[in-house]
Formats: sequence, structure tokens, C-alpha cells
Amino acid sequence: MPPAVKISVRDLDLWYGSVQALRKVGADIASRSITALIGPSGCGKSTFLRTLNRMNDLIEGVRVEGVVEYEGSSIFAPGADVIELRKRIGMVFQKPNPFPMSVYDNVAYGPRIHGSPSRRAADRRALDEIVERSLEQAALLEEVKDRLHKPALGLSGGQQQRLCIARVLAVEPDVLLMDEPTSALDPISTSKIENLLEELKKRYTIVIVTHNMQQAGRVSDAVGFFLHGELVEYAPTKEVFFNPKDKRTEAYISGRFG
Amino acid sequence: MRESERGHAAKIRQERWAFGLIRALSGATIIILAAIVGFILWRGLRYSNETRSPYLPYAERSPEGVAILVNGGLRLEELDFEQLLGIYSDEYINWAKICADATDLLPLALEPGAPGAGSAEALVFGQAPAWGALVEFSPTPEALLERLASTPGSIAILPEPALAGLKPEARRIGLRRLVVAMNPEAAELVNERSVEEISLGDLAGLLRGSPASWAALGGPELPVRPLAPESRGPLAAALEAAGLEAPLPAGGTPAEDSGQDTCAAIASTPGAVGFAFARDALGAGLPLLRLRGRETGWNLKLRYLLEEPRLSGRAGGISTIILNTLSMLLLTVGIAGPVGVAAAIYLVEYARQGPLLRLLRLGTETLAGIPSIIFGLFGMLVFVDLLGFGFGLLSGCLTLSLMILPTIVRSSEEALKTVSPALREGSLALGATKLQTVFRVVVPAASPGILTGLLLAVGRAVGETAALLFTMGSDYKLAKGLFSSSRALSTHIYLLFAEGISFDRAFSTATVLIAVVLAFNLAAKRLVGRMSRNAAR
Repeated sequence: MPPAVKISVRDLDLWYGSVQALRKVGADIASRSITALIGPSGCGKSTFLRTLNRMNDLIEGVRVEGVVEYEGSSIFAPGADVIELRKRIGMVFQKPNPFPMSVYDNVAYGPRIHGSPSRRAADRRALDEIVERSLEQAALLEEVKDRLHKPALGLSGGQQQRLCIARVLAVEPDVLLMDEPTSALDPISTSKIENLLEELKKRYTIVIVTHNMQQAGRVSDAVGFFLHGELVEYAPTKEVFFNPKDKRTEAYISGRFG
Repeated sequence: MRESERGHAAKIRQERWAFGLIRALSGATIIILAAIVGFILWRGLRYSNETRSPYLPYAERSPEGVAILVNGGLRLEELDFEQLLGIYSDEYINWAKICADATDLLPLALEPGAPGAGSAEALVFGQAPAWGALVEFSPTPEALLERLASTPGSIAILPEPALAGLKPEARRIGLRRLVVAMNPEAAELVNERSVEEISLGDLAGLLRGSPASWAALGGPELPVRPLAPESRGPLAAALEAAGLEAPLPAGGTPAEDSGQDTCAAIASTPGAVGFAFARDALGAGLPLLRLRGRETGWNLKLRYLLEEPRLSGRAGGISTIILNTLSMLLLTVGIAGPVGVAAAIYLVEYARQGPLLRLLRLGTETLAGIPSIIFGLFGMLVFVDLLGFGFGLLSGCLTLSLMILPTIVRSSEEALKTVSPALREGSLALGATKLQTVFRVVVPAASPGILTGLLLAVGRAVGETAALLFTMGSDYKLAKGLFSSSRALSTHIYLLFAEGISFDRAFSTATVLIAVVLAFNLAAKRLVGRMSRNAAR
């Protein structure tokens, strides 16, 4: 049985001012799988990722044409709720960006802004549970449980990145977008996060941009190869790596450029 | 090869010169700064004033067995003889001209016939009593002391024996009555100048006969002839108690000396000079040498910080002024802080970057450079007059707020701009709205920088004078409300200088002001430190 489609993209064009960054991109992203986006710098993979939760809206002069459907409804429809969309489609950035507050407050940030600001004891307990569960899911709880109320900026880079993941998980999203989440981390932290991805895949749909070919091979179920704003090849990981259909893909994967 | 070596050596030389020059300039800056702050602190903490008075700096506690007592509420430590004489011959009606106290003056004495009353009378008037009409007489020492204790601003003279066994609720003060009298011929005009004064240091020499001639001091060609009282009289006793070396006796010294005899001898001996009681010297019409001395002591005492100012700041402390300054600062920050920070948030987070915004920025920067006196004039016309707030705390604080607003906007803008865009994205990607992102992430992250800017602005406000002069008024009492005229530390300094009230007090106040500014700057520095620690990755 083919996996259900979570996000469907068709004929997506995107311009930054007069520069076209995406050309006729089309892809179906399967539910509860890891999709890796690879390609040389500036090829449009991050732009594509940021289109999926409309983070590109924040940049002035961006124009988008085409269709992006999340669970069957267009995210660019006039009535679409961008707040709700971002709640459902969470994002982890290249550089860990914890807020300058405590570990606890970082994770509780999402639930707090979405929930009611009540300070009742029952709510506080519920919030405690959410924070604990999210940190657990991000495989960080063991390391920080004694310093929940210490500044998050005191954590190591890898811990900070996992904290950012926990922060996203706390709003109970459906899809996780990850923009080179390990590029700023050391190998040990990287492997921790890769193991984490395996776990998260069971519950979430994950789209990850990576420069690391081995990483893409290790963790992903499907790979999309971008070049000059085009999605050159999009197929299950094994096929892309062992039997690429396009010559450019083969050239890139075998390390002849990029 | 050789050419390049020479070039290299020249470069090194150049480097050394430049380095030396930079070191010298920075050293000079530090020295200048230290000199300025050091001078103000030194002047503020210590006073050292030249004094010119005919009286020797020695106060007798019990002149000729007479005690001088004042009501306990009066701030007075000692009197000189002319003041005492003036008090008992109706020259003063209140204390303002004698000490920093505006209380009415009531001179008390024992009735002329009462036992022992004569010695007090003799102390003040000598042979010819001339009590003033204001003097109130009491029949007994007990009645006198009771009157003294119950009347603020009262003063009493009574013989010590009468005090025996009584516990007066009054303070005993000292009397300065030793002067240096000279023979009138020695004070004659020579080339339209005459001998008038001498430094305390030179006095001992003069009384030992050096210089030998008055001409050395700018007087006539007349030998200096020091005269001393014979050893048993009251003058000799007073001199001995004061630890003053009596001058060598020279011809014509009287045998039995009541003080008056010395004066008579000085009057009749050409070129004579010697110690005398002011009463006798004034009675004999002798010219007095003015003594030049230097008085030093602590200027800034704890009392100065805790007492209320009195007599336009001539006396008392600056407690109410410090409190007024603090309430002024709180109100100013309360007005300018929210407005400035809100403006900065709008400019950084919401406003569309464009020509209008650039114009606005230019405007704020220009405003920050406008002299404060112009803000003062504006404040006077608009807040005081047009809006009718009058001279008071509110007008002053509104004016100050306008003045520091550009600083707050600029520094808050900078602080907000340093917040990493990644934080904003992180918040927005979690589904937060713009408003939530700004107030829950961006402003808290920028708060140390914003606070630093606020504190620096407050530092500027606390030192402001010109903008306050025309808007806040100058009442040194505690401000009772928003519309009550009140004086800030800086205005106080200005007025102490401008009205010629007291340089010492102005410097003391300046020291306090510098301490306040320093405290604000240190607080700002600590916040900056905390901010950079937080920002460190």
C-alpha cells in the first residue's frame, strides 16, 4: 500500500524580486517518512522548504505561483490560516536558535502562546507534562532535567539544536521541516540527531535539507535533488543513490560537482 | 635588498612614533579626566578657605568667669566679641546675620543689681554699661535658665558661680575676643596705603620684633615695638590658656595689667603692637590688625545629605533636593521610557523602511543634538504657559522627557536591531503572531540594551540644568505634588553659584551629583556586561 501523501506540490514557481529561485517544482511528500533535499548551495532547496510553512512570506519581494497542498487544501488559499499552518508544520533551523530564556520556558513557549494564559495549577501541571514529553521525544530530557530553569544559551550546540526540536514538538505538529539541522554541529551531536530522526519518523512527516550525502543516504526514505531551482530528481533514496535517472544527479552524487 | 631593509627600518620607526604619540595622547586624556574629577571631589569633600578677621582663632569657654549659653535649638558654636556686643546693644534682631538661622534673637541677662551680675556686664561693656532695650533681665539664675530653655533663639550671659548646681538645658558656646592692636601711628597712610593685615604665620615674628620696622609691612618708618601684658592679669591668663606666646616685654610695660593698661600702653607708645581684648582695644579706639588664616575641614558631611536646606541653601543640607531629584527621575523615565521604547519598537519591527523613516531618524538625531536650553524655552512656553501646568515637577519632567526621548529611541532601536533575526524566525515558525514575537521574544532579548539606554538617558537627565531652570521652578522644599515647584541637584548647584551663596556647598552638591551619575553609569555597565554574556554563544 503506497503511503498517504501529506504535502503535495505542483508547478511551484518562486521569485525573489526578479530572480527566479524555484522553477516548476512538483513533488508529493509521503506521510511518516523522511524526505531529504540535496543539491549544491543556492539551488533552491531551502527556499522550497521555507515555502512549505510560508516562512518566505516574511521576506519582502517574494512572489509564489503554483500549488502547495497540505492534507488536500491549498496553503496559499485566501482564507488559509498561516498561524495554524506553522503550528502544524514546524521548522528547525540551520543554526540552533533557542530563545534567551530558560530551557523550560523555551519548550513551554509554543504551548503558552497557543493556549490560554491561565496560571491555574492544573494548567501548570499540564504544561510541565508537555515540556517533559517534548524533551523526552527530543532525547534531551536526561541531559537537562536538572537544569530546566537555567538559561538555554548555556547548553552545548547539539543540546541547543535538540532543544529547538523539542520546542517545535511541544506545539504538537504534524510535519517537521529541518533546514540543515546538523550542519553547525559536531559528529557526535549529529549522530544523536540522526538517531532522533529515526524515532520521530514513526509519528511525524519529516522534510530535511542536507549538504551531507551520507546523512541523506542514512536517514531518508526519499531524496529530492535540486539544481538551479529545479527539482531534477525525486525518488526513493535507494533509486537516487544507486540508479539515478538523470546524469546531473549521478554527477552530483558521485562528487563530480557541488 | 639593502633598499628594502632600509624601508623596513623606516616602517618600524614610523610605527614606534605613531605608537608613542597615541600613548601620549591617551595618557593626557586620562590625566585630564582624573584631574577634573579629582578636583571636584576634593573641593566637594574638603573646604579650605582664607579667613580675614581681627580675632585670633581661639574661643574662650569661660571668659573672665562668665558663661555664654544659647538655646539648644540654635546652631551656633562660637561668637566673636563684636557680635556679642551687638547682641546686647540692639544691633541684631535675629540670628540670620550671625549664623545660618533665621530665628528671632532674645538676649537674656541677670538684673544689674543681682549678685554676680557685674562680671557679665564687665565682659561685654567694660566700665560703661549700655544695655540694649531688647535685653530681658531675670532676677535669678534659675528664672534666666528657664526662660533660656523655653525660648528658641535666646542667648544668656551669666557668671559661672551662678551656674553651680544647676543643670541648664542649653548649650555653652565660646567667645573669640583676642585681637592684635597697634599704635595708631603705625597704621598711618603711606602712599595711600596702610598696614591692615598680616598672615597668622607672620604674626609671631612681628610680635618678636621682626621685621624691625613697620615700613617692611607697607607702613611708616617706625620701629616695631611689641608690648606684652604683665604676667598676672586676665589678658596674660587668657593668652596663656590660648597657648599664645606672649611677645617679649619692651620698655613701658605696665606693672598691673587689666588688659586696658596694655591698650593704654599701645596707644601711647609709637610703633607699638600687642595682644589685647577686643573690648579694650575698641574702647581705646586702637586700629586692629586683620589676621589672614586658612580654615580647612570636611565639607561633605552625612548631615549635609540628611538635613533639609534652609535660607536658600545657605544652611542645612540637601535631603529634600535629593528626594526631588529622584522623583523627577522616576517621573521622567515613567514618561519618556514607554514612549521611547514603543517608538523604537515601531521603527524597527513595523515601520516600512523608506524615505519617511530616514527623515524620522534624521529628525531624532537632530533633536538629540539640540542644546537643552532650547528645550527649556520650549517647555516654558508650552508646558508652563500654554498648557498651564505652571513651574513644577510635571512641566520639568515633560521637558526632560522630550530632551532624552531621542536618546532612548536611538539606543532602544540599536538594542532591538541586535536581536538575531533567527530568534524572530524561530518564534514565527512556532506559529506565534508578530505581536507575540515582539513582546515575548524580541523585547525581552533586547531588554538589557534598552535598559542601558534608559539608564544613560537618566544620567543625562540628572545632570540637566538649563532645561529645568525655566520649567521646574526652584523651591527647595519637598515637592508636594506634580504641580509643585521643586529644585533638582543640578539647579541647586547653579543657584548656589549664581546667587553667590556658597562655593563650598555648590561643590558638595556637585560631588553628590557626580556620585549619582557614576552610580547610574556603573549600573548601565553591569547591564551591558550581562547582555554580552547572554548574547555569547
